[in-house]
Amino acid sequence: MHVVVLGKVVPDYEVPSSDFELVNNRAHERYTRMIGLYDENAIELGVQIKDKFGAALTLVSYGTVDDIPVLRKGIAMGAEKLMIVLGVSNDPFIIASNLKLAIEKLGDVDLVLSGQQSADMDRGVVHSILAEMLNLPFIPQVSDVQVENGVYKLNQIVETGSRTLEISGKSVLSITSVPENVPRIPAVRAIFAAKKKPVEKLAEIDAVAMGVEEISVEIPKIESVCELLPAEDMDDTARLLLQKLREERYL
Amino acid sequence: MKTLIVEVVEPAKLAELVTVSKKFCDQPDVVGLGKGDIPGAYGKAYQTEETIGANLLPALAELVKSDGYEVVLFSATTTGSSLAGPLAARLQAAFISEVIAVDSDTEVSCPMYGGKVVAKYKLNAKPTILTIRRKYFEKAELEGTTPSEALEKVQTLISLLAEHEDKAEGVPLEDADIIVSGGRGVGAEENFAVLQELTTLFNESAVGASRGAVDEGWVQPSLQIGQTGKIVAPSIYLAIGISGASQHLAGIANAKCVVAVNKDEDANIFSRARFGVVEDYKKFIPSLINALKSEA
Repeated sequence: MHVVVLGKVVPDYEVPSSDFELVNNRAHERYTRMIGLYDENAIELGVQIKDKFGAALTLVSYGTVDDIPVLRKGIAMGAEKLMIVLGVSNDPFIIASNLKLAIEKLGDVDLVLSGQQSADMDRGVVHSILAEMLNLPFIPQVSDVQVENGVYKLNQIVETGSRTLEISGKSVLSITSVPENVPRIPAVRAIFAAKKKPVEKLAEIDAVAMGVEEISVEIPKIESVCELLPAEDMDDTARLLLQKLREERYL
Repeated sequence: MKTLIVEVVEPAKLAELVTVSKKFCDQPDVVGLGKGDIPGAYGKAYQTEETIGANLLPALAELVKSDGYEVVLFSATTTGSSLAGPLAARLQAAFISEVIAVDSDTEVSCPMYGGKVVAKYKLNAKPTILTIRRKYFEKAELEGTTPSEALEKVQTLISLLAEHEDKAEGVPLEDADIIVSGGRGVGAEENFAVLQELTTLFNESAVGASRGAVDEGWVQPSLQIGQTGKIVAPSIYLAIGISGASQHLAGIANAKCVVAVNKDEDANIFSRARFGVVEDYKKFIPSLINALKSEA
């Protein structure tokens, strides 16, 4: 059994809005680069599948050579191999086409895991497009995977709760966060070992782009002005809050 | 433009998509997923009880192709996201997800960078496929129902073994007028009890949570509010011990009044709040409960 996890390197997603700056319609280069938050959930689930079911685990990415040191965290967490297709496109068809190239080169992939959405473009579309390009079913919002005799039992989070799905054969899954797949913190020894792992780099292939054109990218103005209520006596503060909520007709 | 809505048979979700469809056509067609009459008046209605995207994909792709739909609309939900991307790839469509504004029949906007940024796109290909973020569009009045015919060629690639509905007291989060929401600052699962008690003193209220509280295992994932959880639009959003990450703020962008209670005066949540209390919630919430009880 061979599991591939897709990982994307993104600008620090915890930078607050007040400090966020765009240059040429993208996040300023000064922000720390890191693996996307849901991608780390996917890596964690991949490591758990590897440990429990004896799977091979490969981390695959589309990006630049500068992403490689960041992606090594995935190796330190437990992936055995890192493959990257070198490219800079933001187009989902082009990215998916190049991820398909990597997965087909690996050849024996049974399961593709991906974070439910990247932390930069916020789209959550590349994995589902990739699934169709690979002619595999796509199942979103998965929180757990169990395997028995080639049959996969999946827990999927839906708006009202969860459901258990069963599928025989290969698929592409998007992974959501639950307490059970909060990313592990790699051991220091694993971090050093990850630095020595060879990385397979693939050249990008040409692909047809999606028929959409980015017109503008802007930081919206937030006009909310916070009125801090006096906090000397909490009973007074509570009464004052209720009074103000009524005055402004929210309550 | 010939427009198709694909959605589970739920009036609120359908009503928002009907509003969006008016930007593209006078009357859309619909594929209703699940049981029950399809509320609203549509040109044509198809229906299947199947709700697993991969099982519906071939039937839906054939319908869009054979009937020449130019626009296909889904809600940005688990079901919508399971279908929209594969359908876009199969039909070489223009596809934008998590749409929050439709400026014209060829221009739409969606968030980037955890909601810190809004990007506008021009749609240059047909068909166009959009997933629509919930609570960003008013609900259209849905009059009557439309008789449906069966959606043919649904396959069973994936089997549904079991469904589990999370128990939640009060009204559903998406419909709540007042939400009391807790973050990592709440500190423990048992501390959510005081938030629950507070909701019982308001009408149409519910408890929610940030991703941090869900990741800690203090509340069930279906209570998560934020970009990747529920999108809500209450009159009052009480944020208790929530730092205010942009991904969380994206889920409450349409809340009318945010009240932040946090002992960290530098917490980002205060940048979105109308009223703020810089104090430990364990001191403030009991006082608020007492004030509400004394008014009762």
